[in-house]
Amino acid sequence: MMAPLHQLGAALYLAAALLAWAGLALRSGRLERASVLVLAAGAAVHLAALASLHRADPPPPLTDPAAALSFMAWIGVLAFLALQRRARLAGLTVLVAPVAFVGAFAAALRAPAVSPAAFAGSGSWPHAHVLLASAGAALIGLSGLAGLLFLAEHRRLKSHRPLDAKLPLPSLEALDGVNRVALALGFPLLTLGVATGMLWVASERGTFWSGSVHEVWSTLAWGVCALLVAARFGAGQGSRQAAVAAVGGFAFLLFALIGVELLA
Amino acid sequence: MRVLLVGMSHRTAPLDLRERLAAPDPLPALRKLVASEEVDEAVILSTCNRVEVVATTRSLDAARLRVRSFLRRELAECDLGPEVESSLYEHVDGDAMRHVLRVACSLDSMVLGEPQILGQTKDAYRGALEARAAGPVLGRLFQQAFATAKRVRAETRVAERPLSVARVAVDLAKRIFEGLADKRALLLGAGEMIEAAVEALRGAGLAHIAVANRTPERASELAARCGGTAHGLEELPRLLAEADLLLACIAAPQPLLGAAQVEAALRPRRGRPLFVIDLGVPRNVERAVERLDDVYLYDVDDLAAVAEANAAARHQERARAEAIVGEEKLRFDAWLAALRAVPTIRHLRERAERIRAAELERVAGPLALGEAEREAVEYLTRSLVNKLLHAPMTQLRRAAEREEGGAMLEVARLLFDLDADPDAVSEPPDREPSDDA
Repeated sequence: MMAPLHQLGAALYLAAALLAWAGLALRSGRLERASVLVLAAGAAVHLAALASLHRADPPPPLTDPAAALSFMAWIGVLAFLALQRRARLAGLTVLVAPVAFVGAFAAALRAPAVSPAAFAGSGSWPHAHVLLASAGAALIGLSGLAGLLFLAEHRRLKSHRPLDAKLPLPSLEALDGVNRVALALGFPLLTLGVATGMLWVASERGTFWSGSVHEVWSTLAWGVCALLVAARFGAGQGSRQAAVAAVGGFAFLLFALIGVELLA
Repeated sequence: MRVLLVGMSHRTAPLDLRERLAAPDPLPALRKLVASEEVDEAVILSTCNRVEVVATTRSLDAARLRVRSFLRRELAECDLGPEVESSLYEHVDGDAMRHVLRVACSLDSMVLGEPQILGQTKDAYRGALEARAAGPVLGRLFQQAFATAKRVRAETRVAERPLSVARVAVDLAKRIFEGLADKRALLLGAGEMIEAAVEALRGAGLAHIAVANRTPERASELAARCGGTAHGLEELPRLLAEADLLLACIAAPQPLLGAAQVEAALRPRRGRPLFVIDLGVPRNVERAVERLDDVYLYDVDDLAAVAEANAAARHQERARAEAIVGEEKLRFDAWLAALRAVPTIRHLRERAERIRAAELERVAGPLALGEAEREAVEYLTRSLVNKLLHAPMTQLRRAAEREEGGAMLEVARLLFDLDADPDAVSEPPDREPSDDA
């Protein structure tokens, strides 16, 4: 059941992405709004796909990279949908929907293959770790996507070749707002994810630090994100610098959480 | 029925001539024009860039002389002299229709895609209706023109991008800020240019305005006009730190704001962007300010360059708009051609009705029909006639839209004997003619 629902969710995300890009090409606010609705429908189906995991016997863990990516995509879409109700953000769907599609599609390709027996005796730490870390990473990802669009628009404005005002894209101020809010919410969740990960390791091996590749890279990524937060909220970093940092931070986090696993 | 358009525009006549021809209230003159024999219907479009008369007539040459004379002597209530003739242009039938559509779509305007002309064209048509000068043909032509203009706006980008410096500034502000209602603008200077720009920004929702000027009185005057507060230049550092938009246009040989001063103002803003519109010549803001991350600096040349790029983008859309005009003109042509069938169809219906009524009278008396029976027979005969005529009338309308439709109309008149004396046709044969009759 999981794969078909994931496939449907991925298809809806893809449809949302196509609608958003068509809206951009045709300068149609109506298409942009339609893309948000389709994205929301995709998120609902995606939730059903994730929920179906728990009905499986035995339930597959979320620690599989594809499943974790799928969960991150869902949280990211959810956060975007929540934020876009407060600001003129529908245009950000051009980036959020394709990324969500990749996340859901990765999970649709294959079912998690990790044996649940591997987590016997760890209690709820594995799931708490994956849920919190994925949610944190998803929000930092959203911050990075907003940063990416911010940099594109900033560059056009600075070079005195501004984008057409009729293009249904968010303003710099709205994008900076997404960057700030997503980072402010994402970093505490990521911190909790790292903490629960350590508790998981402690419950299994009796030590908080096992020195695995995943642990090393995750801790490094957390450190990078901590620097982003300090620069943004402590040192009064400018909007453009914050956008560059968000894009870089998310790229590093993605590599640390997914890339390292895939390369290992 | 012919359509004639005679007029002058910014392309053919200098402003002083257009001014002399522009009539503040052209309706009395229009009433006189349609009262003349040569013109059936007329609409006068009078704007600052054009004066045009669109008319329908059954005698083109006579109407041409009449409309030219009207423009030269009657519209302006004085004789403008023969030199006006060289500034007049003339379009007939298809060209006239196309011209009306192009004007309504702003494809013939001085500023391509400007929105005012559509409203002016609507006003002109409304005036003609009021003066009872517009009839079915010009009514249809102008409705078609309005629909075409709507299509052009929806399907092309010919009117999308702003061309004035003030409107460009508003568009840029919308790309930077989510909204202008909660933003603070600092006006450095109190001249006309700055006032025009701030008016456009106020139209987009800007509410909090501070005016700083060397002369406090002028700052107070502008602040009063735009609902802001007046300040001296000594308050500039504080005002700059609070501002989201800076509009500068003050006469000064050197820039009033340097990069260091703006950078100092940015420090407490924690990344809040500052949009600087420098309308001063020489510049009021150092060009180096542009290098600061969260500052978006546009001077007069930058804004003009954006406006020029927008104008070029509009011109690229011209071909698509012209194609739409061509399609819509074809529709109007078809409608106008279908009008040729109207007299034939009317005759056909009248003849059929006469026959029906006469036959009914002939049988109603001897049969001594009661009221209910008579109504039933009335309904039956009317229904029969309508159903029998429906197909030929539809075919005649369709045929009239085609070039060879005239022949079909002739055949119909012959077959149904429509050119005969109406009284003579009231006695149709009692029965179908047999082969040996």
